[in-house]
Amino acid sequence: MTLFHFGNCFALAYFPYFITYKCSGLSEYNAFWRCVQAGATYLFVQLCKMLFLATFFPTWEGGAGVYDFVGEFMKATVDLADLLGLHLVMSRNAGKGEYKIMVAAMGWATAELVMSRCIPLWVGARGIEFDWKYIQMSFDSNISLVHYIAMAAVVWMFTRYDLPKSFRLPVTVLLGLCVYKAFLMELFVHVFLLGSWTALLVKAVLTGSISLCSLFLFVTLVHSN
Amino acid sequence: MFEEASEVFDNMFKSSFPLTFIVFIPAVLILVSPLPAEAAHEFTVYRMQQYDLQGQPYGTRNAILNTEARTVEAEVLSRRCVIMRLVDFSYERYQKALRQSAGAVVIILPKNMSTMPQDIVQQFMELEPEMLATETIVPVYFALEDEELLSIYTQTLTSSSSQGSSSAAEVLIHTATANGFQMVTSGAQSKAVSDWAITSLEGRLAGTGGEDLPTIVLVAHYDSFGVAPWLSYGADSNGSGVSMLLELARLFSRLYTYKRTHAGYNLLFFVSGGGKFNYQGTKRWLEDNLDHTDSSLLQDNVAFVLCLDTLGNGDSLHLHVSKPPKEGTAQYALLKELETVASSQYPEVKFSMVHKKINLADDTLAWEHERFGIRRLPAFTLSHLNSHREVQRSSIMDVRPHVDLRKLSRNTKLIAESLARVIYNLTEKGAPGDLQIFTEQMMQEEQLSSVVDWLTAQPRAAQLVDKDSSVVSTLEYHLGRYLKDVRRHYVKADKRDPEFVFYDQLKQTMNAYRVKPAIFDLLLAFCIAAYLGVIYLAIQHFVVLYSVVRRITTPKTKQH
Repeated sequence: MTLFHFGNCFALAYFPYFITYKCSGLSEYNAFWRCVQAGATYLFVQLCKMLFLATFFPTWEGGAGVYDFVGEFMKATVDLADLLGLHLVMSRNAGKGEYKIMVAAMGWATAELVMSRCIPLWVGARGIEFDWKYIQMSFDSNISLVHYIAMAAVVWMFTRYDLPKSFRLPVTVLLGLCVYKAFLMELFVHVFLLGSWTALLVKAVLTGSISLCSLFLFVTLVHSN
Repeated sequence: MFEEASEVFDNMFKSSFPLTFIVFIPAVLILVSPLPAEAAHEFTVYRMQQYDLQGQPYGTRNAILNTEARTVEAEVLSRRCVIMRLVDFSYERYQKALRQSAGAVVIILPKNMSTMPQDIVQQFMELEPEMLATETIVPVYFALEDEELLSIYTQTLTSSSSQGSSSAAEVLIHTATANGFQMVTSGAQSKAVSDWAITSLEGRLAGTGGEDLPTIVLVAHYDSFGVAPWLSYGADSNGSGVSMLLELARLFSRLYTYKRTHAGYNLLFFVSGGGKFNYQGTKRWLEDNLDHTDSSLLQDNVAFVLCLDTLGNGDSLHLHVSKPPKEGTAQYALLKELETVASSQYPEVKFSMVHKKINLADDTLAWEHERFGIRRLPAFTLSHLNSHREVQRSSIMDVRPHVDLRKLSRNTKLIAESLARVIYNLTEKGAPGDLQIFTEQMMQEEQLSSVVDWLTAQPRAAQLVDKDSSVVSTLEYHLGRYLKDVRRHYVKADKRDPEFVFYDQLKQTMNAYRVKPAIFDLLLAFCIAAYLGVIYLAIQHFVVLYSVVRRITTPKTKQH
């Protein structure tokens, strides 16, 4: 039943994307090709990040148990390129704010799903050996979807010229949290020695709170006019 | 969405042909790629013996297995791999597994055999020949225990013993959390090895004083036997015999170097292979020397043949003969000398002669001297064991701690002294019984110890030692240091009516995969379907959340 297990994991990972695409009304706007373009931008940005990391960051030669906080922090800073990529995608799409955000986030998240989750699932979940990590990987992709929607919304808000002064600080803070979320998660896991399910829960809570805050800010911004 | 997708793909096809290749060929390749699997645990397993001797098959016939693991306590054992630990092993359990047509049996042995209590070791030694005597279709494997294997065993034990004893709810929970293991071997089915050459080695020390001198032959077989070939180290049987033979070769070659001590006897040393398989090496050597050669030391004047078999322990020495020696023969002289030396120099050794007639109706011969006896050569075997049926001769438990070095050294000295008294005719010349010919400096106990250590460091089953093996070449080198005319002798089974047939696939890598039962996948599918249903509803009614947030935020702005 191992192909069945792969089917389970794939359904768990992919169906929320499908449902989001359908229910957010993107299909009425013929947004499929634009989402693919957003995905291509994701690939390009990841490639640039990898080249940058490989060139400028030497390999860590310390002990195996020591966690290189500074090094990992620097590497996480490179993730700012993600924000630039999202901004690029959104600026090329004309339309309402929600449309831009959803297109960018859907394309970006789907590209990430295909690139970083499909192959481990295909190779690993199909084997005889059972491991809970594939289910966890699929949950993680759901959480990533919410995270990218929130991130795209925050980037959009950051670049609005009519952003009120009082919003600048919360938006910047949220932006920083989005970029360094992965770093924070690794920190938590390392310091508190969390199990894999607990880490997933913490990640879900963190992403939920970030997205709720960005939703609040977004609604306030859009309906304050 | 699918219409848009198909539009996009149409454009892709029409616009650029190479793009389709770039997209589709990797996809197809990935889909059909073979699946490398990672196992929970990978370990080496050693198969039970599989051989045919004189047309009779012995041991297990099968090598591959791909079954789920269970322990003996489980109710359903058919087509499952039964795992047992040595401490829990008993013949009834083994038979129970076989009766319920189990798929395979894996016996876990402790890493260090000497930590086992004596009675378990003894019980297992007695079970080994019984396990081999019945021909089993089921593959039987032995594995050495380590932590992961032990944890796999305990997990399988808990899941096996809790079957069929609980309510439906417990069974459901148990299914969700249980961890089954699938045991898979990576090798192929076993098949007969063709053209296997059993190697034996001979070397000689020529006597002085004319032609037609009497010859003394010293024989020991170097191979070992046990229920699993890769685990048979054969320390006492017959590592002790081989090391004693090498030590005697060294001592007598030293004596023969000097003209004063050069005696009038030819000494022929023979290290035979295939000893545990009815002495195949000796049999063919005798045929070649007596039937197919014109002149050979064995044809002319053989004083006696002394076979050394299992002399590394114990305080008794038995001289096994098939015919009691007549007075006046060299055989009788050796017997008397052994009695004399034992009684005067080593009173703690109980020496006796055991007379057993050769029974040609038996499946296999008892001792090695019977091969020589069949060809009318006077021969006997010296051993500390009383009977050839003792289980210590063919057990995997026969490891290095079974050899007591002091007793081996004492036995070596005893035999060396007796041989010297025969060769130099000392009793007739009036030498007293307690005259020591070999002084303490001559006997090198460290060399004896290192030879025994080296011999027991690797398994020496006849199926594993081929003519390029390091065991053979090292023995050849060793003999060449002391003896002249060191030669190899090969035995290959006859093509049409083979006396022995060996099979391969004796060592395998087994993988233990963690698996969940099939129900679990269905359960998981239900849960995922429920979760997706909830997500669908949440996204459909996202508008509700949106309006709630809006209602919360708009009063704030109205207040401004």
